[in-house]
Amino acid sequence: MKELFPLKQVMGFVFSLLLTAVALTVYFIDISFTNGMTILLFTAFIQAAVQLVVFMHAGESEDKGSIFTSIYYAVFIALATIFGSLLTLVWGY
Amino acid sequence: MKINHTLPLEYSTEENRLKILGFWIFLGAEIALFATLFATYFIMVDRTGSGPGGEEVFKAPTLIIQTLLLLTSSFTIGLGINAMRLGRAKAMINFFIITLVLGVGFIGVEIYEFVQYIHEGLTLQTSGFSAALFTTLGTHGAHVTFGVFWGLAIVMQIKKYGLTPETANKSFIFSLYWHFLDVVWIFIFSFVYLKGMM
Repeated sequence: MKELFPLKQVMGFVFSLLLTAVALTVYFIDISFTNGMTILLFTAFIQAAVQLVVFMHAGESEDKGSIFTSIYYAVFIALATIFGSLLTLVWGY
Repeated sequence: MKINHTLPLEYSTEENRLKILGFWIFLGAEIALFATLFATYFIMVDRTGSGPGGEEVFKAPTLIIQTLLLLTSSFTIGLGINAMRLGRAKAMINFFIITLVLGVGFIGVEIYEFVQYIHEGLTLQTSGFSAALFTTLGTHGAHVTFGVFWGLAIVMQIKKYGLTPETANKSFIFSLYWHFLDVVWIFIFSFVYLKGMM
């Protein structure tokens, strides 16, 4: 039975529940928008990293380099799309 | 077919290894897809017109339930893959079924939430905000719905053929998809719901 619940994954789950609880504090306590967003950016990206490395085993095969390159590239495209749109359409430069 | 027995079953042939790499590249494209939806949402978030805004319709209980369901399902499918690597087909099927039940629960709560929104006067056509919100949440929900059927098909194949390099590879790729949906949800949870409720 024990082998079905490896410590690494159980800890990953506990850690992601913890990050969710921390993220939820921005709703339950009175906090400024800037501080709240800082907490959310922090918890969201850490949690995404936990999923990729602990649960998706991104770094275990010989294609590790290609996998991380393609994910970093996708994240770059995502951030450029989101912040580029905000820059031109909302923040008004 | 050359089978390398030093590797987990799902990586054991070159074709399998390349399928996994190919799926990661597909997930890269999915990240770009969701980025366009998030960009649209962030532009539209204050364009509420005469309809309600996020701070009025978003509710903490449904959000927490959805998050716990999806987070737990991501954990159980991880355990399913672990069981698969131990050669425990039966335990693996059970973990996959738990995952799919949690996924169906998530979809159920999401549908309930959409009905609540409509009752509160927030429909797809209400405002720029509502259109972007329903499109972003709906695209994620549609992915989960598709995933439930895909997962069901995987469970049936494992039952029929047992653990072979082919079925193990399919199961592993499905687990990548499911974890990815959880990653997308983390961003929806943080930057659609919590940002709107702050």
